[in-house]
Amino acid sequence: MSDHTVAPTKPASQATQIRLLTIRMLRKVMREPAVTIPNLAISVFFLFTYNGAFGSSGVTSFPGVGGNYLNFILPVTVLFSSISGGAAGLTLVADLETGYFRRQLSMPLSRASIVLAAILLGAIQVLVQATLILCLGLLMGADPAAGVGGALALLGFALLWGMGFAGYSVATGLKTGNAQAAQAATFIFFPLMFLAPVFLPMEQLAGWIQAIAKVNPTTYMLEAMRSVMIQGWVASSLIKGLVAAGIFATITLTAAVRVARSKTSRA
Amino acid sequence: MIEVNNLQKTFGKGDEAVHAVRGVDFQVDEGQIFGLLGANGAGKSTCVLMLATLLAPTGGSARVNGFDVLEQPNEVRQSFGAALQETGLDPLQKGVELLELHGRLYGYDKATAKARAADLLETVGLSSDGGRRIGTYSGGMRRRLDLAAALIHHPRILFLDEPTTGLDPASRRAIWEEVSKLKSEGVTVLLTTQYLEEADQLADHVAIMADGVIAATGTPDDLKAGMGADVVDVDLADEAEAIRAAAAVGSEAKVVGNEIRISATDGPAVLARVMNQLREAGIEPKGVSLTQPTLDDVFLNLTDGGSDHE
Ligand SMILES: Nc1ncnc2c1ncn2[C@@H]1O[C@H](COP(=O)(O)OP(=O)(O)OP(=O)(O)O)[C@@H](O)[C@H]1O
Ligand SMILES: [Mg+2]
Repeated sequence: MSDHTVAPTKPASQATQIRLLTIRMLRKVMREPAVTIPNLAISVFFLFTYNGAFGSSGVTSFPGVGGNYLNFILPVTVLFSSISGGAAGLTLVADLETGYFRRQLSMPLSRASIVLAAILLGAIQVLVQATLILCLGLLMGADPAAGVGGALALLGFALLWGMGFAGYSVATGLKTGNAQAAQAATFIFFPLMFLAPVFLPMEQLAGWIQAIAKVNPTTYMLEAMRSVMIQGWVASSLIKGLVAAGIFATITLTAAVRVARSKTSRA
Repeated sequence: MIEVNNLQKTFGKGDEAVHAVRGVDFQVDEGQIFGLLGANGAGKSTCVLMLATLLAPTGGSARVNGFDVLEQPNEVRQSFGAALQETGLDPLQKGVELLELHGRLYGYDKATAKARAADLLETVGLSSDGGRRIGTYSGGMRRRLDLAAALIHHPRILFLDEPTTGLDPASRRAIWEEVSKLKSEGVTVLLTTQYLEEADQLADHVAIMADGVIAATGTPDDLKAGMGADVVDVDLADEAEAIRAAAAVGSEAKVVGNEIRISATDGPAVLARVMNQLREAGIEPKGVSLTQPTLDDVFLNLTDGGSDHE
């Protein structure tokens, strides 16, 4: 311990800044469970309801579903949990609204640290929620064809997809500076989410939905995760999924960086 | 030390442009307190925000602790502490967490930041409230926490934008004492305030801003002296008596209703003389008063309130 009656000589390193700011945001999120719980609750709800509704129905006999409907539906709920990556933008918006964001700008902090801490918070949220859902699914009887590595791959996909949401929420949140607007912006993902082979295999969808689903990146994410659950390691599915999630995350994170640049520079 | 040269800020463009600061110059020497006064919208906060590296000047330059606000923002940021008009606190954070976190961000290790936070909570009288979330604090408690946060890294320069607005008299006095103590430790302070008494008490130098420019500057005493006269008012029984009294005193006395009023630079001496003259004329005053100009008079004279001033 050094002397607290004299000034510190130089600000914390960037790594320390990011770590401390992320911990602050995690505390903040945990103190406001009403913001995070609903997303988790919806994922759990899907898992139980759809498994309950279709798990013992004849759907399991459709080609592409495999013998265990749980294996088919678990990727959907894991994917849904990755929307929690939006915590990144929502937390920044809360800081904009209270003025804490501006206070940080008056300190000798790297501007990137402030935004990176939020993105990291989003990543942690996704990992925690996706892990909970995955464990729940495994307890209920899901058995990934690709084994433990397959379960981890599912988490990896959730994380990558979640980074897409984190970037999107940071870009819209910082741009509008308004929680409602940032929240509303996530609604555009509902059609994306559902115009995909969510509850039934692609072949069972109506023709027009199939047409949309073919250009919807969510489809490729889902199919990659399902291949791991139902078939094992299928390179072509995995690559398509990675490319879809990678493009989504790259686009939104680039937008986030651009908005953050202008928002953290002086007016 | 703070040096401000022809500092300007225009918000917006074209028809909607607001010229908030139109060329401000001042200098605050090491260990001095500089008071910036002005009516709402005069441009005080805009000046502070430019010095605090939160707004980019549209013209001119400024140096804080020797560092240029545009060229060396990080050095400037490590040099100053600021309690801004809008405090910017996270309601979900605890008071002590804020101070410990900021202590570490400015560069203390964990244990040192902890010790510094405890020290400051005591200084601002929040020792027993540090463990509570800031959202549960009263407005005055938030201001005091904000001041503590501004001091966390022993800054050489302090920006205080209306630090005592909304505080009870005891808290206000406590903050005045703290600011005086910081000054005695060599801290340079830029203080904006709506309370002229506050500037009079604390500031070595005062500038009065109106409409984006500095309308008057000097020590509080200079400014008051610049207003000229002390005013002696003598209350009399009726107007006729007042007219008689004015005749007894001489041409400098003006009759105002039941009173006579004498303006003079040396109020106390004039008061004594007038009392003698009245006694000799056999006139019994009902009351007397001596008014010396306050910073309020200077302020009202220079700002919009000026039209109401006699
Ligand atoms: N971000 C902004 N955009 C546009 N105009 C602004 C902005 N900030 C301040 N202004 C304008 O600049 C002028 C000066 O405002 P400023 O906040 O500096 O005044 P002030 O002297 O601090 O007033 P107060 O005593 O009310 O705090 C005002 O006319 C205000 O409307
Ligand atoms: Mg102001």
